[in-house]
Amino acid sequence: METVLEVSQLTGGYSPRKPVLHDIGFRVGAGEMVGLIGLNGAGKSTTIKHILGLMTPHAGEVKVAGTTLDERPELYRGAYAYVPESPVLFDELTVEEHLRLSGMAYNVKENDFREQSERLLEQFQMVPKRKALAGHLSKGMRQKVMIMSALLANPRLYIIDEPFLGLDPIGIRSLLDRLVEVKRQGAAILMSSHILSTVEAYCDRYIVMHQGRIAAQGNLSEVLRAAGSDGDGDSLEDAFYKLVSGGGS
Amino acid sequence: MRNESGLEGLWKRRSSAFRKEIAPYIRYMGQSGFPSFLSLLLIVSAVGYIGLLRGLPDDFPVVPAGVAALTPALCWSPLRTWLAPADIVYLMPREARMGAYLRMSARYSAAVSAVPAVIVLLLYLPIYAQRPGYATAWTLLLVSAAIKAANGWAAWRERQMAWGTFRTASRAVRWLLTAFVLAAWLVLPVWQAAVSLVLCAALTFFLYGLFPRQRLPWERLIREETSARRNYYRFFSMFIDVPSFPPVIRRRPYLSWLLRRIRLARSNTYVYLFGATLIRTEVSGILIRIALLGAYVVYWSGDSAAWNGWGAAAAYGLFAAVYGVQAGSLRQAHRHSVWKHVYPLPEQELTEQLLRVDRAAMAAGLIALALPLAAALLPHDHYAPLAATIALAAVYAAAVRPRRLRRRLLAEERED
Repeated sequence: METVLEVSQLTGGYSPRKPVLHDIGFRVGAGEMVGLIGLNGAGKSTTIKHILGLMTPHAGEVKVAGTTLDERPELYRGAYAYVPESPVLFDELTVEEHLRLSGMAYNVKENDFREQSERLLEQFQMVPKRKALAGHLSKGMRQKVMIMSALLANPRLYIIDEPFLGLDPIGIRSLLDRLVEVKRQGAAILMSSHILSTVEAYCDRYIVMHQGRIAAQGNLSEVLRAAGSDGDGDSLEDAFYKLVSGGGS
Repeated sequence: MRNESGLEGLWKRRSSAFRKEIAPYIRYMGQSGFPSFLSLLLIVSAVGYIGLLRGLPDDFPVVPAGVAALTPALCWSPLRTWLAPADIVYLMPREARMGAYLRMSARYSAAVSAVPAVIVLLLYLPIYAQRPGYATAWTLLLVSAAIKAANGWAAWRERQMAWGTFRTASRAVRWLLTAFVLAAWLVLPVWQAAVSLVLCAALTFFLYGLFPRQRLPWERLIREETSARRNYYRFFSMFIDVPSFPPVIRRRPYLSWLLRRIRLARSNTYVYLFGATLIRTEVSGILIRIALLGAYVVYWSGDSAAWNGWGAAAAYGLFAAVYGVQAGSLRQAHRHSVWKHVYPLPEQELTEQLLRVDRAAMAAGLIALALPLAAALLPHDHYAPLAATIALAAVYAAAVRPRRLRRRLLAEERED
């Protein structure tokens, strides 16, 4: 399986004297969805910021599509789309203008743009709101705009931070359906979430972070094993609880 | 009683905190060249005003000028409340005791808004005295005070109105009635003017009572306070970096169609974004107002053939400079946006595309100012100032400004 995202021995944080992340290493392959889970302050968002290139590692490196940000910035940036935890929209743009802006930034062709944007607006029930300015949208709708913009870009890697916050049930369902679809088409997905049941149901592998380190990673049985779980029928949530409360091996 | 004084104390603490908050920015402004520029503007205006008083042209429109100058001065009724979004949670439960707090706001704001009204009135009265109507200067002074107070009351009622459309319509009616009453006092015999004043006041009182209203419009007052603070900081941003406020967004369909003309292409990404920012934030509102006022002043000074047309050229230069400074504020719009780092575009692209938007905005403004200049100077055969102004404006917009702006953007990028 081709590796799309590779994080190697990453140590980083806001101050060189006080690293938040310690020796983080994982990879996400094409056609794979990986769940990034951890308590508040575990280092998930800081990891994501390092992947995005918003923070500079103290040590280690991050490669997207086989390149680091310094080597080929345009290729690196063009290979991923990002959905932040809190929707960051331009208040002066409408819903469909956000899609158009994403289309421009990611070089989507006019015909593809028209077809894709119509499909996304319908799928996320946003047709009646297409002309609404971002400032007039509810939090869930703002999140939908972020998600639609990411999906429109059709990148090789999706970096999605807490996507379900504020989304209505149809929005959650539409997002998960589309993620399954883009995964089948070969996209890599790194998704951070606290909804462990959804992460367990949809992700192929899991990375459990705790206090800036990786406490466990792998598929469900590997994470269960790392947590010292010996009972059949244990869930990701059980393993997670053991790992972060010091009950793991 | 103790709660009342508690809220009054809160008002005083907040008012004093705001003064302390802006004090450093006022110092920065004082250290810039702005006070000198303001003094120069004041001296030039004073010379022009005294000249006008000494030789008031026979065809000077005394009444329309009075109505045009006094209406905004008397209608402007701000309300500084120092309220913040968190007050919905912490202060709203004490709504029943907010009377004293709001009265302090009303007194303070009335005093602040009275200053420009008094200045405009004192500047206008000597002009009025040369072609007086029926009312004496003292009568006008008293009537203006009454109109100002009535506007303050009506503006409060507008804030209370539950529906935005009623509020907008009521504000328009208030301005129109104020203009009408002012015109009546400048033209009609005193008793007729007094009747029109009473009738308009009664009409306003009746109309404003018709609409459903909120007891205390918390959200409106908080928005107004945020907007007042934003205006202060926007002004200070001309001299120093200031905390940023979310911009006020207006749809502006009469300009938004331009966005649809921008081709879907990576090379237009930031043109599209900055274009939307230019059109929908207060930047375009300010630019339009500057261009309109500038067009009027340029035409007026050109038509009066001051200094053989060079006066109009100077006015053009002044308004073009102010327009340019305001257009330049666009570069601050997305300076700290996360998308600048996430979008797969070289940072250099942002600079070049922002320059394209700036060039278009400058071209629009310079042309809007050049048309009245040409309309005023050509009939007087003043070709030299017209040609020189247009040539200088073209060189500035095409070569000088892009070079300076690029340098500034690069310097800011290094700072970031």
